[in-house]
Amino acid sequence: MSSSASTQRPAGARVELPSKALDTFRLGLSTVVVAAVVWSWWSLDIKWGRLAAAPERMFRLARTMFSDLEWDKLGHLLGQMWASISMAWIGTLIGAVFALPLAFLAAENLVGRPVAWITRQFFNVIRAVPEIVLAMVFIPVFGLHPMAGVLAIGIHSIGSLGKLCYEIVEGIDRGPIEAADAVGASRIQRLRWAVVPQVAPELTSFMLYRFEINIRASAVLGVVGAGGIGTDLTEAIRFKEYGTAGLALIVVVVGTIAVDIVSGAVRRRIVAGPGGTSRGRRVDPTPELPDALAP
Amino acid sequence: MLAFSVFAAAKVGFSLGAFGDVFTRPNPVARGLKNIRWGEMFSQRSRNAFLETLYLAVLGTLGGILLALPLSLWSTRIGNPYRIPRMILRAFNNVIRAFPDLLWAGLFVLGVGIGALPGFLALTFFSCAVMSKLTADTLDGIDLGPVEAANAAGAGHTQMLRTAIVPQILPAFSSFALYSFELNLRASVVLGFVGAGGIGQRLNFFRERGRLEAYEQMWGLVVMFFLVVFVVERLSVAIRRRLV
Repeated sequence: MSSSASTQRPAGARVELPSKALDTFRLGLSTVVVAAVVWSWWSLDIKWGRLAAAPERMFRLARTMFSDLEWDKLGHLLGQMWASISMAWIGTLIGAVFALPLAFLAAENLVGRPVAWITRQFFNVIRAVPEIVLAMVFIPVFGLHPMAGVLAIGIHSIGSLGKLCYEIVEGIDRGPIEAADAVGASRIQRLRWAVVPQVAPELTSFMLYRFEINIRASAVLGVVGAGGIGTDLTEAIRFKEYGTAGLALIVVVVGTIAVDIVSGAVRRRIVAGPGGTSRGRRVDPTPELPDALAP
Repeated sequence: MLAFSVFAAAKVGFSLGAFGDVFTRPNPVARGLKNIRWGEMFSQRSRNAFLETLYLAVLGTLGGILLALPLSLWSTRIGNPYRIPRMILRAFNNVIRAFPDLLWAGLFVLGVGIGALPGFLALTFFSCAVMSKLTADTLDGIDLGPVEAANAAGAGHTQMLRTAIVPQILPAFSSFALYSFELNLRASVVLGFVGAGGIGQRLNFFRERGRLEAYEQMWGLVVMFFLVVFVVERLSVAIRRRLV
């Protein structure tokens, strides 16, 4: 019967597995990746010998930084962290104010395909410009003032928020739109009563999520002098004031984690609704994935 | 939220009039945009800096992969049955994630000196943070059937991880790796600003010269670099869509 083939097999021989079909896509991808790694490895001018010494040196650096913190600067640094958080928040608001209307213009279920395509390309281009380059453009206008950072964050956020938002808008239920049309609503009325109520919770949650990312960004903007705690940190590092740098680091990390926790709790509450039931939605809408993986 | 906005606006000295200033005040950086030097990318030094950026992004992602896979496995219940080490690892991941890439770079420049090495280390840690977070989320949602099967067949812990868990997360994991390669490519622009190698060092050089001509060269680099980033991103999105 069907097992006759295996009974004739001499003892100890390996079972021959059916060979897998050759997957050219995977094979090609792996080849490219391996080639890129090998090429980079050979060409990059890194003294790998120094890598072995790195843990010890980093440890020594940490000891210098944290052994002798300058506590009298704490008040100033906390104020600067607050300034960074404010920059991130105002930037996020600017981003949201521009991104929301544009997101409706990028959703294929609300406007025609060509309009949606144009708006999306606009988002893509804005998203590609990093905050630090924008900040460099704004610094001659505002001087070394937080406003430069705020605008840089705000403009960059238009792109990323817009992309997240139109994906949400495209996922809405068509029922309310048809109902609004049936009772003779104008375009604006339809948007106000049939679309916005459906997307508002998720959009708010994405805005808060973007706020969390922007806090990290505003810490970075200090490097080019756009204000906030990043400026203090880079200056402390540049002038090798290890005590201040260590304290600033602690303030940044604790501040960022604290904001993450608060904003995460608010987001969960917004999406899950009162009572914490998820009503069929994901409870933690970490949109890192939609942003990253949605085509 | 409204109260918070008002406080925050006061703190940063926000004013709507400032938007008008953007267009009226003299701005040499923006003026450089009118006459971009496209050829800058092909000059010897810029080309080397640019290649260094690419190498750094590739190797940084590789380092991140090597760190993130075990870290994310050990920080979930299936991969690590012990409660206390798991919590310590999770806390460690959170702390890594709270650092922006540039902070890592600044720290490593202080620790190991200027050059490509701090850039490599910074990107490694940064991508490790991104990937282990994403992978840990994926691990929470995997199918437990294969795990039970592996345990029933008498697999050791490592064997179980290798045969029951890793194959399940591999497509998602490779797509996260590509994603973090994109992030690294963008981040590597910034790294040079603190002396961690790559194209940012050239950008910063032009920026600090502060002449119109230098800004024109700077924009040439920026625009060319972002064309490259854009192409890489489109490619990577296409590959990721096939992977998952």
